[in-house]
Amino acid sequence: MTVHDDGLPNDPEGIRLMIHALVDGELDAAAALAVERRIAADPALAAEHARILALQGAVSRLPRPDVSDAFRARIAAIGMASSQQPMQEQEPQRGAPSALPGLIAGAGAGQRRAADTRPSQARPSPRVRRFGSFDWRAMAASIVMTAVLASGATQWVMFNSASDSIAAEIAGDHRRSLLAASPIDIVSSDRHTVKPWLDARIGVSPPAPDLATDGFALIGGRVEVVSGKPVPALVYRHREHLITLIAEPQQGGRITEPKDVSSGGFSMVHWSDGAFSYWAISDMERPELDDFVARFRKAAV
Amino acid sequence: MSDRALAERFNEVVLPHLGDALALARWLTGNAADAEDVVQDACIKAHAGIAGYAGGNPRAWLLTIVRNTAYTWMSRNRPRGMMAVGDLGDLDEMAAAHGASLPDEDGPEASLIAKSDTAALEAAIAALPQPFRETLVLRDINGLSYRDISVMLAVPIGTVMSRLARARGLLASELGRAP
Repeated sequence: MTVHDDGLPNDPEGIRLMIHALVDGELDAAAALAVERRIAADPALAAEHARILALQGAVSRLPRPDVSDAFRARIAAIGMASSQQPMQEQEPQRGAPSALPGLIAGAGAGQRRAADTRPSQARPSPRVRRFGSFDWRAMAASIVMTAVLASGATQWVMFNSASDSIAAEIAGDHRRSLLAASPIDIVSSDRHTVKPWLDARIGVSPPAPDLATDGFALIGGRVEVVSGKPVPALVYRHREHLITLIAEPQQGGRITEPKDVSSGGFSMVHWSDGAFSYWAISDMERPELDDFVARFRKAAV
Repeated sequence: MSDRALAERFNEVVLPHLGDALALARWLTGNAADAEDVVQDACIKAHAGIAGYAGGNPRAWLLTIVRNTAYTWMSRNRPRGMMAVGDLGDLDEMAAAHGASLPDEDGPEASLIAKSDTAALEAAIAALPQPFRETLVLRDINGLSYRDISVMLAVPIGTVMSRLARARGLLASELGRAP
């Protein structure tokens, strides 16, 4: 069996589950990319993927039960009843005292969910907490982490430079983004989606050219906090590598040429175009990152 | 909270999801008439518990009540047909057995699945073992996320994933067998 180092399960059962998760939209961008690559490389997985898609499509086309007007009216009438005496009105109709334990169970389930979302109201039951998001997050994190360790293990050096605090912060942000459940908050290869999203979040909309034809695909964006201020971050992908591009709005309007500020095992380049101060960071080699910076600057003009 | 506010919340939280509630109840009980009874019971319970709803996914909240109500209803109305729910040890064995009988490579062509007719697909879903059917319906018909389903069924997400994969695998091989 081919051994992959993309952090996904290598057993057939595990990878099948990941394909289901991909079809169900449950994967973060990094894991989805990894699964898509596996599918592209393996006809058996591609067939499985096609089967799942076809099945999901067929199930979603099944006729759904009609909500008749009479039925809807009956349910709406329940809502009209006084909230203090719903059972007294309804119980003679249903006529089953044994419905009471069910009632308590039903309402209790609702309250447990409510407690889960509002911890201040009541202590969530340990059971709900245990089966909350923990398992999946841990799984997603382990997938991304393994991918990072596999692709950049030799460069995985602890970052201990204090020379430039902003650079250090940005390196930390980039590293954290690689470890997080998703390196991007808005997934889109369309700059017309990413820019308005950033604009709506923080009122800043940096140039976001898609450089896919140059081999640097825009895959999304997120908001970072640098020096206490929210700043837009664009995420590009080049082969196996993610590039984070921080664009900090500039007041002074100074224009500076790209400067190497690499540290901590990451390549990092900093420059300014008068409107924004840019930081590009990646675990790619410097020449490749320089290539990205040159293409970005050319396209962003 | 005032009665009026509670009534409004009921209208906002429950009424938009009646179609989903009926679909779930229909697949759990097996027929549309029983589904209406179950959903009506569930809505009475939802109404009684509406004060406890505090945000989150309203569809998942209502469907949790529908599911509980459906099992209560079935245990009352057809005790013999009721299969044991919640015996996870048995389910895992069942899952393993089904997994073993499903070689990955031999799945049918996707085009064959896409062409399958409604009746065949409905019969195949109805024939699924209950834990698999329930998971498939919650995901592919009700559109809940893995996380919502895991909270509702009180099982780990990994179990949701494996049940869903088994359910789809069984359906695919069933549909692939059609003439």
